[in-house]
Amino acid sequence: MRETYAAPLPAMNLAEMSGKLIVIEGTDGVGRSTQIRLLRPWLEQQGRAVLDTAIKRSALAGKGIQQAKEGHTLGRITLSLFYATDFADRLEHEIVPALRAGFVVLTDRYIYSLMARAIVRGADARWIRNVYGFALKPDATFYLRIGVDDLIPRVVFSRGFDYWESGMDIHPSEDMYDSFRKYQTELLTEFERLAKEYTFEVIDASSDVRTVFEHLRAGVARVLSGEPREPLFSVVAPVGDPVEAATKKVLEMPAPAKAADPASEESTAAAQALTRAVEGDATK
Amino acid sequence: MKRYGEHRFPGKLFVVEGIDGSGKSTQLALLHQWLQSEGYGVVFSEWNSSPLVRETTKRGKKKLALTPSTFSLIHATDFADRMEHNILPLLKAGAVVLCDRYIYTAFARDVVRGMDRQWVRELYSFAVKPSAAFYFRVPLEVAMKRILDGRSGVKYYEAGMDLGLSENPEESFGIFQGRILDEYEKMVPEFDLTTVDAALPIEEQQAYMRQIAKAKLAQAKRLRVAP
Repeated sequence: MRETYAAPLPAMNLAEMSGKLIVIEGTDGVGRSTQIRLLRPWLEQQGRAVLDTAIKRSALAGKGIQQAKEGHTLGRITLSLFYATDFADRLEHEIVPALRAGFVVLTDRYIYSLMARAIVRGADARWIRNVYGFALKPDATFYLRIGVDDLIPRVVFSRGFDYWESGMDIHPSEDMYDSFRKYQTELLTEFERLAKEYTFEVIDASSDVRTVFEHLRAGVARVLSGEPREPLFSVVAPVGDPVEAATKKVLEMPAPAKAADPASEESTAAAQALTRAVEGDATK
Repeated sequence: MKRYGEHRFPGKLFVVEGIDGSGKSTQLALLHQWLQSEGYGVVFSEWNSSPLVRETTKRGKKKLALTPSTFSLIHATDFADRMEHNILPLLKAGAVVLCDRYIYTAFARDVVRGMDRQWVRELYSFAVKPSAAFYFRVPLEVAMKRILDGRSGVKYYEAGMDLGLSENPEESFGIFQGRILDEYEKMVPEFDLTTVDAALPIEEQQAYMRQIAKAKLAQAKRLRVAP
C-alpha cells in the first residue's frame, strides 16, 4: 500500500501500485538528467520497464509554464502553483498509471525541488508542504549533493548561467555570477534541510559521472531488490569516505544475466550510453 | 508570506459569491456603477480570467483532461496571478476592488469534486480577507430556471459532468449545483459571509449592498477616476 504525505487525491486508489518510484533530486546543473540517461538503459537491459519524467513535462501545464517564464512577469505564488498543477497532472496521468503497470518510474526532481525553490522565494514552508500533501511517498530519493564551488565550473562550462537558475527574479544584479552563487547557496541550504526531513539518500555528486553513476546504480539495485536501506546512503554518513564501500557494493550487485554474450553486450551498451551522456554534456 | 487574514491596506475589497444564476454578477455591476458615480477608483476582477494561465485552462477543458486536483490547482494559479498582479497592488494603492467570485467559489467547487476541505483552505491562505463577502442565497430551482431558460445548454465542467453524477447534463448540473449550495451554506458561519436574499427584488438587494459597502468605505481613502 502506497502512502501520501497528507490527504490523497480523490479517487486515487493507493493499493495495487506494484512499480517503484525513484526520485533523483539535486540542484540545477548537478547532472541529474545525465544520470537518468544512464540509469534507463541499464534498467531496460534487466527487463525493467522505465518511465522517466521531469518537471514541466505535463501535457496540461508544461507549455504554459514555459511561456509564462519567458515573460518574467510571474509572481512567486503563481509560479509555485503553476508547477503544482504540472506536478498533479503528471502524477495522475503518468506516474500513477506507470506504477500500476509495474514500471520503474525515474523522476528527475520531485516535490522537493519545487518546495526548495518556493521557500527560497519566500513562500511559507507550511503552505508549500500542504500544497504537495497529496504526493506519493517515493520508494527512494537519491540526492546528488554538490557544493556551490564545485557546481559553478560545471554550469559555466556546459550551458552557462540561466536567468531562473541564477535566481535573477529574487537577486537581480548586473552580475549573473553573483546572483547564481547567492541563489544556489540558499537553495543548497534548503535542500540539506529537506534531506534531513525526508531522509534522502545522499550521493556525493562532486566526483565524475561514472563514480556517481556507480553509487546511484548500487542504490537503485538495492531498492529494486527490496533490500533495506544501508547506513552507507544515509544523510549522516560522511561524504567521500563511503566511496570504496559503494564500489564494492556495485561489484557484489546481482548481475542480471551471467551468460557470456548478453553480459558483454550489456556492459558494452552501458559503456556506450555512458560515453554518450558524458559527451552530450561536454558538447552542449 | 502573509497568511490569510485581515489586510491593512487603504483599499477595500468587495466580493460576490453564490451559485450560477443567483444574480450576483448583476448586483456587482450595479454596485460598480454606483461606486464610480460616488468618485471611487474601482477595479473589477473576475474569476478565472488571468491571461497567464488562460491557454492552459482552455487546453484542459477542451480535452476534458482536468481532474479534481488539476482543476483546483489551475484555478488557484489563476487566482494567485490576479492576487499578486492586480488585487494586492490595487488595495495598496487605495482602490476599491470588486471580485466576481473569490476563494469561496474554489472552496465549494473543489470540495464537491472531492478535494480535502482543509487542503483547499490552506491552498488559498495567501488570499486577503475581503472587506465584505456577499453571498447571494437562492433556492436551487430558481437559479436552475434562470440558467437553463437563458441559454442553449450548460458546459461540461460547469455542469459537473466530470463527476459522473448523471449522463444528462441538466440533471448533472442540478445535482452539482445542489451540492455547491450545501457547501456555501456551511461557509456562511465559517467565514462570516454577508447573506443577501437573492429572491428579493433587484433594487432591494442593491440597496442593502450599498448600505454595507458605504459603512465599510467610511474611512477609505478616495481616489478619483481619471476622466
